[in-house]
Amino acid sequence: MSYPPQPPYGQSPYDQPTQPGFAAPPPPGYGPQPGQGYPPPAPGYPQQGGYPPPPPPQQPQQAYAQEQFGGPQAPLPSTHGGSGPVVYDAFSLPVNDNVNPYAFSVDLNGSYFLQKGKMVAYYGDITFKGVGAGVLDRMIGQHFNSPMHAADWVVAQGRGKLLLADRAFDLNSYDLDEGNLTVRSGNLLAFDPSLRLKQSIIPGFLTLIGTGKFVAASNGPVHFVEPPIRVDPQALVGWADCPAPCHHYDHDYMHGLIGGIRRLTGLGGASGEEHQFEFIGAGQVLLQSSEKLMAERSVGQVDAEAGVPVGGVPSQPAASGHGGGNLNVPGLGNLGDLGRRFGL
Amino acid sequence: MGFTKINGKMVEALLVPGQRLFSQRGAMLAYTGDVRFTPNITGGQGGVMSMIGRRVANEDTPLMTVEGQGRVMFGHGGHHVHVIDLVGDTLYVEADRLLAFEGTLRQSTMFMGSQGGVMGMVRGQVTGQGLFTTKLEGQGAVAVMAHGGVFELPIVPGQSVHVDPQAYVAHRGQVQNKLSTALGWRDMIGRGSGEAFQLELSGQGAVYVQASEEKL
Repeated sequence: MSYPPQPPYGQSPYDQPTQPGFAAPPPPGYGPQPGQGYPPPAPGYPQQGGYPPPPPPQQPQQAYAQEQFGGPQAPLPSTHGGSGPVVYDAFSLPVNDNVNPYAFSVDLNGSYFLQKGKMVAYYGDITFKGVGAGVLDRMIGQHFNSPMHAADWVVAQGRGKLLLADRAFDLNSYDLDEGNLTVRSGNLLAFDPSLRLKQSIIPGFLTLIGTGKFVAASNGPVHFVEPPIRVDPQALVGWADCPAPCHHYDHDYMHGLIGGIRRLTGLGGASGEEHQFEFIGAGQVLLQSSEKLMAERSVGQVDAEAGVPVGGVPSQPAASGHGGGNLNVPGLGNLGDLGRRFGL
Repeated sequence: MGFTKINGKMVEALLVPGQRLFSQRGAMLAYTGDVRFTPNITGGQGGVMSMIGRRVANEDTPLMTVEGQGRVMFGHGGHHVHVIDLVGDTLYVEADRLLAFEGTLRQSTMFMGSQGGVMGMVRGQVTGQGLFTTKLEGQGAVAVMAHGGVFELPIVPGQSVHVDPQAYVAHRGQVQNKLSTALGWRDMIGRGSGEAFQLELSGQGAVYVQASEEKL
């Protein structure tokens, strides 16, 4: 679909006089649809395809608005006295930056990989194609080095501004410079094709390698910590540069008299913190401030092969800690589940 | 000691040997150093009788004791966290809103009816607190969870504060609260303003209000 829209667009809600910041009647010679209050028409805005280069970033909005509306009487597409909604247009949207904590604006010129359903809006001439669609296959081969379900990803191609968001989760972009970062599969929203995507050995995580930008979501702002640290599995968003984590189990609370009773009866329950991921070495660990997880994305099954840890996605809830199997046999120090079952 | 806010949804506590923290079970996000987490059978302080009291009062949120040396980060369920420093005064808060608190605080359970008799019990029902609430007193810090950001409204004598019962989080100090009803014929025919019940707090202290009418 090409951007400068055909007449139906003119009847969109944009022409409501109640649109904040656009109450004043547009000046004459306004553009293709005189009388319509559509915000971003630049002079010389092309009719078909294409996308005008954004104005110099230093250009103050005031000047821009005056140029657009021909006078100081024209309202500014911005806040009212510091409050109220900010109205963005194709030019005032940030370039590869957050619009607010929950929305991210990508200045697209070329192609971009994104998870299906994370695009909320776009300006410009952008097409979305499912991964694996014909012409794109070569590019996919270069950047998707993962047995990922291709159906979960789309490629955005074209020029314009692309707005990403995901259920009001906090979004952040990360710049990699010849680096690597591993992130929970459900949290990765989009990435630059200059990065290569691979599946981590840790099930349910994806690794991005190379130079470029990607956008990831988190429940609450992301907090960076440095190893050595032990992290609750649900609070982990990802890690950069440091070695993959190992499991750490606390069995201290099973010692002593009280511990023995707990161990035999399950009374008292588990602290819920007897299992962590332990990080060592140099790098950064990304934490999210909550223990509510985003839905896990299927990352595809690795081939069953000798020496390859079983791929696939761990079961969704916290049970992921207990690696499956019949570990609840008494005596293995894993009575936590028993306690939970009895509601203690 | 005390809690340092990392961001709106995360706090960090510095643990030193000999001091301990209580926190809601499973609310630890990460830690460095040598820290032990022990499930707390009695669900807090005060021995078995207090435990039975809490069980009966349904104020027995699963707690764990955190001891050792290091730094621990807490957060839970993506809820906003607010740190309240108590200096010898009293905080009334619902037990499931407690994210973590210092072991120097005394924890007890309070019967809502003891603050205003039958109306206190009605108030407990309307605010979703039930018949009992948790009382923390002494010197120390408390991290309280809320849905949406928390703001503090001071209560000064002669100037009472009205709070939506669903947005009420906690209050501290010498505060009398009563439920004021503004029920009218409109409410009877289902055309009420939706604000028929209000919590009126008066006295000396502060009330913490969340920017949401959703429970935890």
